[in-house]
Amino acid sequence: MRFVRLSKLAIATLLFAAPALSHAQDSAAPVQAPAAHATEKAGPPDFITPHISDGSKIDIPSFSMADNFTREIELPKWAPVQIGPLTLDLSPTKHVVMISIAGLLCMLTLILAARSQARSALTGKPPKGFANGIEAMVLYIRNEVILPNVGHHGEGFVPFLLTVFFFILFCNLLGLIPYGATATSNISVTATLAVVSFLVIEIAGMRALGFGYIKTIVYWPSDMPLSIKLPITFIMTPVELLGKFTKPVALAIRLFANMIAGHVVILALISIVFTFGLWAVAPFPVLAATGIMMLELFVAFLQAFVFCLLVSVFIGQLREGAH
Amino acid sequence: MRRIALNTFALSLIASPLLAQEGEAASKPGLLALQGGLMFWTLVIFVLVFLVLKSFAFGPITKAVADREQALLDAIEAAKKDRDDAAKLLAEHRAAIEAARGEAQRFIAEARAQAEKMKSDMLEQTHAQQAELLERARRDIESEKTKAIDELRREAIDLALAGASKVIEKNLDDAQNRKLVESYLSSIK
Repeated sequence: MRFVRLSKLAIATLLFAAPALSHAQDSAAPVQAPAAHATEKAGPPDFITPHISDGSKIDIPSFSMADNFTREIELPKWAPVQIGPLTLDLSPTKHVVMISIAGLLCMLTLILAARSQARSALTGKPPKGFANGIEAMVLYIRNEVILPNVGHHGEGFVPFLLTVFFFILFCNLLGLIPYGATATSNISVTATLAVVSFLVIEIAGMRALGFGYIKTIVYWPSDMPLSIKLPITFIMTPVELLGKFTKPVALAIRLFANMIAGHVVILALISIVFTFGLWAVAPFPVLAATGIMMLELFVAFLQAFVFCLLVSVFIGQLREGAH
Repeated sequence: MRRIALNTFALSLIASPLLAQEGEAASKPGLLALQGGLMFWTLVIFVLVFLVLKSFAFGPITKAVADREQALLDAIEAAKKDRDDAAKLLAEHRAAIEAARGEAQRFIAEARAQAEKMKSDMLEQTHAQQAELLERARRDIESEKTKAIDELRREAIDLALAGASKVIEKNLDDAQNRKLVESYLSSIK
């Protein structure tokens, strides 16, 4: 039984790697590979970077051995849009597709759970099953993470922080299924989330502190003589200002790095098999990759949780700052 | 100061890919390059998900939980009330049973007393009747006796007179003789 389960996991892991392997073939093929890339770099082709970075193609399952069970679909290319001084290329990419799927799944899961809970509340029957699991997660995040950390009037931040948690969670999990890609292993995605969080944190601070918000930037110790106060203010203000920006940057980098690392490790482990080109070598990397996959599953939840927790803590800190 | 140094270091670290990208602008974007389009879509989708979830998922879930909590509280309250009611009812019933028992006791006692009284009454009555019967019998006997005595006396007189008239054979006034004998007899009575 245990062996069967293990081999199933191993097969799932291989399927996960299938698109990457197909990329490997692509880049190995001299026709498709960019000329400069192929000639400059000798040695085995790099199929890890294409797999974890964004692209204009998505992989879908194919049931033919010749395709390596993967078919690529070219996404449409749109003309760049000019907004003021910015030129935005709004054509959908692999990660855009993944974010959309994650968003849709997020809405579907939570709304279905909410409707099921509302129905059971209405009919007076005990709630059951999957909806209860979702409810348990929502309640845990709300009661144990958001409300204690945000502090007074934390209720208003609950929808935003819960959305952050579930959105990141679904993005993370999408990367773990075969043919999926982790949108949160793209710095653009995590940076956007961090910027949104930054705005929420700072605006929450402004609303809570009013004019006192300026004190969180300009350090002005009121119980010191002016001769000490002035230089300290002069030194500390840039520090405070930098401190404000390091928080979202750390959020973005943490999520991005965590999500990308596991994938790199899994792909590297699997490519050991191909580097050696021996069937005998296969069991070890595949089992190791399976183990890392388990860890990744945990990390997917952990990083979503950590992001949500840290934003809650930052909001709470800033709002408590004046007291 | 350390914080500044650290922050500067961190910032330069973060910026380095961007700087590097600027250097090799022509080559393909690295892993740390920010893509405007992707950021835009991330923002749009995130905000959309946020708005949808806010109004259709988290509100109802929170409401359902609050409702359930309220329902449980109500149920507990109702159960407590029911229990109190039941206890009250039980006490009432117990009191009623106690009262009924007392009543029954009283009835029995009353019935016993009544029976006792009836018995004594009847006995008394019987005694009285008996006495009356005896009295009547005695009176009858008495009257019969006087009547018999009278009869005997008249008979005796008649016999005496008949005897005397036979003996004397003397023409005597019946009525006068009778009177004589009567007076005599009464004198000897």
